[in-house]
Amino acid sequence: MTAHSDIAPSDVSLPAAPSKDAVKKRGTRRKALGRTLLLPGQLISLFVLVVPLLVAFYMSFTDWSPTRGALSSAQFIGLFNYEELLVYDTRFVEAVLRTLVFGVVCLSLEFLIGLGLAVLFLRRFRGKALLFSMLLTPMMVLPVVVGYTFWMLFQSNGPINQLIELTLGAGAAPDWFKSAISAQITVVVTEVWHWTPLFFLILLSGLNAVPENPVRAAVILGANPRQVFWRVVLPMLLPVIVIAFVIRAMEIIKLFDEVFMLTRGGPGSSTETISLYIYKLAFNDFQLAYGAAAAFLVLIGTLGLVHLLLTPVRNQLLEARG
Amino acid sequence: MTQPKLELVALRKEYDGGDVVAVDGIDLTVERGETVALLGPSGCGKSTTLNMIVGLEEPTAGDIHIDGRSVIGLAPGKRNIGLVFQDYAVFTHMTVAKNLSFGLEIGGLPRSEITRRVGEAAELLGLSSLLKEKAAYLGGSQLQRVAIGRTLVTQPAILLLDEPLSNLEAEARQAMRRELRRLQGKIGLTIIYVTHDQTEALSLADRIAVMSAGKIRQYDRTSTVYGDPAHVFVAGFIGSPSMNLVRGEIRRDGPAISFISDQLQVPLPSRFAGVAPGHGEPVIFGIRPENIMITRPGHPGVTGIVSSVEPRGPEAIVTVRSGNKSLDVVVPAADRPARGDEVVLRIPADHIVLFSGETDRNLSLSPILGAAA
Repeated sequence: MTAHSDIAPSDVSLPAAPSKDAVKKRGTRRKALGRTLLLPGQLISLFVLVVPLLVAFYMSFTDWSPTRGALSSAQFIGLFNYEELLVYDTRFVEAVLRTLVFGVVCLSLEFLIGLGLAVLFLRRFRGKALLFSMLLTPMMVLPVVVGYTFWMLFQSNGPINQLIELTLGAGAAPDWFKSAISAQITVVVTEVWHWTPLFFLILLSGLNAVPENPVRAAVILGANPRQVFWRVVLPMLLPVIVIAFVIRAMEIIKLFDEVFMLTRGGPGSSTETISLYIYKLAFNDFQLAYGAAAAFLVLIGTLGLVHLLLTPVRNQLLEARG
Repeated sequence: MTQPKLELVALRKEYDGGDVVAVDGIDLTVERGETVALLGPSGCGKSTTLNMIVGLEEPTAGDIHIDGRSVIGLAPGKRNIGLVFQDYAVFTHMTVAKNLSFGLEIGGLPRSEITRRVGEAAELLGLSSLLKEKAAYLGGSQLQRVAIGRTLVTQPAILLLDEPLSNLEAEARQAMRRELRRLQGKIGLTIIYVTHDQTEALSLADRIAVMSAGKIRQYDRTSTVYGDPAHVFVAGFIGSPSMNLVRGEIRRDGPAISFISDQLQVPLPSRFAGVAPGHGEPVIFGIRPENIMITRPGHPGVTGIVSSVEPRGPEAIVTVRSGNKSLDVVVPAADRPARGDEVVLRIPADHIVLFSGETDRNLSLSPILGAAA
């Protein structure tokens, strides 16, 4: 968590005032008033956000477990938890890598399908408004419900398998949750179904905001539709694409509900994500301190990842006005 | 090589199945190396005309010839026309160099040729030091140079400029106006400006086509459009302040001929005897504000009261009310009367222009000189 910014009243521009001194005086008084008014909100966020975060941070340097009494009595073990996680806990490292692979596969598919749909929606066709609403619906369904629904759909005698046997013949349908790879496929399918609409929505609004004249200019300079798309439209869309990826990346690192409902991380730990592993650490094994350390590592990793993702468009985003 | 560079033949554009006629059958010929301005208020059809020439819109009827060849149905990229947009439409995500080379890369030119031409264009437009800059960081007049350069490198047969100066500040505007003149002299381009700004048109173009309501009202040398407007619209549109126009009728009394309205009664010179309509026929009387002279009461002329005086540097625009009609007069600032003064306006016979009250055409110009309606 970053520190919440102090909205200084001096940022609000005032109309021209009679003298500099008067402005200064009034400015100081307004500033003081502003701080006073902001105090309750800041205190609340201090207790709700900062205190638990600090407690958890401290906890990650101890061997505390709720079964062993108060946190204050827990032994301070320094970076032991972190060392354990990074060096010896292969299950944690695997969960991290697995989550990243899920992220790359899902986000790529979501982006490609979402972009395709968005480009399709630039044209006029019958039933566009209806299809638009339908396409956005998955996004609004609770993750738990999505996970449960797809768990049902992927049952060995479920609708998906019935469809497969109908088209490919009896025996062609796999038992989805029994092998690692097919279980992973169910996670990807569910996630892509659930979140492609977000990409679609963001990319569609981005495409609509692409100015018309550079596109026309490219056409007049002889570019064919494909060249216009790749050389003009897509580069102008890049900041929007990156934002969509950042939002989804932050979400998918936290992937939990759907996997929990679909596979519980199994078979074995073949679909276990970071969140799922930390959940198991905390609530199955009661290793809360160890879980807290894992959570902090993930937070640091996520910050780094988002920073990296934003690099190509940071200048564009920050200096766009001028 | 004497054939015109661009020829519009009875060009027409309708929208909504003919309910809206944006361009109403216009003819226009632009010679090689000529600079022509399409001038008119917004909504007059000039932008639609431009889009049709470029190929962004297909005409409903009529033809467009470039170098004697019809380009109807030809894709915009195949017409060999350059267009500089009003908002420049520079590719902001690319560097200046990439912007300039865009059309050439699309055209599949060899690298060395692209580098050579981009270098030339950058030199010509003073962009050499900016080639590696990202276009997003450029200012207005630099963006316009990039937009012009990006088009020029493809060596278009015709360069179209849509409101080229309207997005620039006054100072940059002057500089760009000079620059465009210089460029034109240097590479002998055929240029068509689309603009609503008469100063821009008058200062840049060899010939001006004045448009209103989808028609070309007059297509002539710049000086002629100003001095001998072919149509009431042209008279009212060109010049600042615009020509004074008064509706009235002709009175014929033997060989003598005069113009008469509720407020004005002006004897007309004999040159109108042949062209003016018969006694009692409607006409529109026109006189430019700078041609009217203000004298003191007692002199012969039109008597009126000064209702406003607007100083404008070395001169002043004086509005004189006579009856319920106001006439604008431009006088040297030093000679301006005060508001409320009674004055007499003298209207020199040489500068009177008469338009038909029915067709709005200049009666002294033969119909062939004015654009066909």
